[in-house]
Amino acid sequence: MPQVTGNATPLVKMENIVMKFGRVVALDNVDFDVRPQEIMALMGDNGAGKSTLIKILTGIYAPTSGQIRFEGEVVQISNPRRARALGIETVYQDLALVNLMSIGRNFFLGREPICQVGPLPCLNMSCIDRDTRRSLADIGIAVRSANDKVGTLSGGERQSIAIGRAVHFGMKLLILDEPTSALSVAESRKVLEYTLNAKERGMSVIFITHNIHHVTQVADRYTVIRHGKNVGTYDRDQVSADDISDLITGERES
Amino acid sequence: MSVSKSATLEPRQIKRRSEFLSSPVFSPLVTQVIIWIIFWIFVPNFGSVRTVSGIVGAASINAVIVIGVTMLMISGEFDISVGAILGMSAFVFADILVNGGSPVLAIVVTLLVAGSMGAINGLLTAYTAIPSFIVTLGTRSIYRGLIWVVSGGTMIQVTDRLPIQDILNGRLDIVNNLFTQANFTTAAVWAIALGIIFQLILTRTKFGNHVFAVGGNPGAALSQGVNNKRVKITCFIITGLLCGLAGMLTFSQFSTAQVVTGANVELKVIAAAVIGGTLLTGGFGSIVGGLLGILLIALLRTGTILLGLPSDNFEAIVGVTIVGAALLNDWIRDRLI
Repeated sequence: MPQVTGNATPLVKMENIVMKFGRVVALDNVDFDVRPQEIMALMGDNGAGKSTLIKILTGIYAPTSGQIRFEGEVVQISNPRRARALGIETVYQDLALVNLMSIGRNFFLGREPICQVGPLPCLNMSCIDRDTRRSLADIGIAVRSANDKVGTLSGGERQSIAIGRAVHFGMKLLILDEPTSALSVAESRKVLEYTLNAKERGMSVIFITHNIHHVTQVADRYTVIRHGKNVGTYDRDQVSADDISDLITGERES
Repeated sequence: MSVSKSATLEPRQIKRRSEFLSSPVFSPLVTQVIIWIIFWIFVPNFGSVRTVSGIVGAASINAVIVIGVTMLMISGEFDISVGAILGMSAFVFADILVNGGSPVLAIVVTLLVAGSMGAINGLLTAYTAIPSFIVTLGTRSIYRGLIWVVSGGTMIQVTDRLPIQDILNGRLDIVNNLFTQANFTTAAVWAIALGIIFQLILTRTKFGNHVFAVGGNPGAALSQGVNNKRVKITCFIITGLLCGLAGMLTFSQFSTAQVVTGANVELKVIAAAVIGGTLLTGGFGSIVGGLLGILLIALLRTGTILLGLPSDNFEAIVGVTIVGAALLNDWIRDRLI
C-alpha cells in the first residue's frame, strides 16, 4: 500500500489549539495533523477531547486560541458550511442520510442535478440514478437501484453510501465518527474496506473510534488524546494495539 | 491486510417492488376504493353523477388547504391556524369586493394578507424554539381575534353574485353539460390543478427533495447544505397562500363571510393528510394522497347522510376512519418499503 512520505505538506495542521469552556480546559495546546492520502486514527476515551477537536475542525466551535492550516494556508473555519467548502466532510452515524428517501436522492441531496422543463427546474432523475450507481460502483459498492430507500439498507451499507458520496463530490478530508461501533463484524469489514478505497481515490480520513482492533487494520498513523492533551502521534509500525490501549487509559505516558 | 478486496452491497431486505406499490399514494388509494365500493353496494344510486359531483364539490375548498398542509407536514411542521387564515382571507376578499374594489385588487390583497399570515407562522417556528404546533395554536386564536377586530363582528353578505365568484367557484358547465344532473364546480378545477402542480414540485424539483429531507432527517439535511429554515418558511407561506385561495373560494360559493368562517377546518385537513399516507413525524407523504383523504372525508359525510344515519354519527365515523387508515397505511408501508 503506497504511503506518502513524511515530508509532504500536511493536508490539515491544527497548531496549539486551546479550547476553554468557561474555566474548563477541554483542549490544552493540542497539535494535530493529517497528511494527504492517509488514514489517521483519532483515539481517546470518552471526554478526552477528540470530539471537541473535530468540532473545531468542522466549524462548530471556534478555538479559544490556536490556528488551523489547510493545504498549507491558514484558514478560519467559522461554520460547517465553510468546512464543507474547503472539502472537509463529516459522517456521523445517524446524521448522514435520510432513511425515508431513496439512495439517489440522498446521494445528491443539496447538489441536485437540474434539467429545465419549461419554466420549472426539474430534478434530472435519470442522471441521479445513473451517476449514483456508477459512483458507488467506482468505490466497490454495487447498488441494484438508486430508487431503493436508504432505510432498507443495513448500517454498514448506509455508511458506505455516505463515504461514496464524499468521494464522488471530491471531498479532501473525510471524518468518520465511530463508523463501526454499531455494526456487526461483517459490516465493519465492509466499512473498513470502503475507507481504504476512499483513501486510494485520494482522500484523507480521520477515523474516530474506541475500537482499536478495527482501526489497526486500516490506519496509517494514530493520535491519542487524553485529558485534552495530545499524548502522542505514532506510525502504524511503532505501536501495537495494547500500547494504544495503555496510552488511552493512561497506563503509559508515551 | 485482513480486509477483502471487492465487497458488494447486498441488501438482504430489499424486495424488488414497483415504485407505485411503495409510493405513499398506494394505500390511501386502496382505502378509497374499498369505501366507495361499500357505499356503492349499500346506498341506492350512489354512483350517480349527481352524488359524485356533490362529493367532489364538498371536498374542493378544503382540498386546496390540504395541499399546503401536506407539504408542511412532510417538512416536519404543523399549521393549525389554517382555518383562521381562511376566515380572514374570505373577509378581506369580500370586504374589498363589496366596497367596489376590482376583483384583481381583491385577489392580490387577499393573497398578500394570507401569505403574510403564513410567513409569520413560519418565522416564529424557524427562529424560536417553539414547535410549530404550539406557534400555530397561538396564531389560530390571534388571527381569529383579528377577524373580530377587522370586521367589528359584522357579517358580509352579497345577494347578487359577482362574476369573479363564478370564475373562482361557479358552475363548471363545460363538464356539467356532458352529464345530467351534474353539479361540478370550478373550485374542483383549482383543487385538482394545484394538486398536480404541487405534487410535481414536491417530487420533481430540488426544493421538493429538500422538503422531504428536512422532514425526514433535519440533521442530515443541514449537513448537506440544505437551508432548513428557508425550506420551512417557504412551506408556511405556500400554505398561507393556499388558505387565501380557499377563503376566496368559500366566499365565492356562499356569498357570505363572517367571523367564524373556516372554523374547525384544521383538524379535517390534518386528518385528510394522515389518511392520505403522510407521516405525522414528517419525511414521507403525498399531496395526491391528501386529496384522496379529503375526498374520503367528504365521501363519508355524504354517505352517512344518504344511508340515513343520524348526522352526528359522521364525526365518529370519520374518527374511526382516521385511525383505521393510519393503521392500514403503516401496515402496508411496513410490508412494502
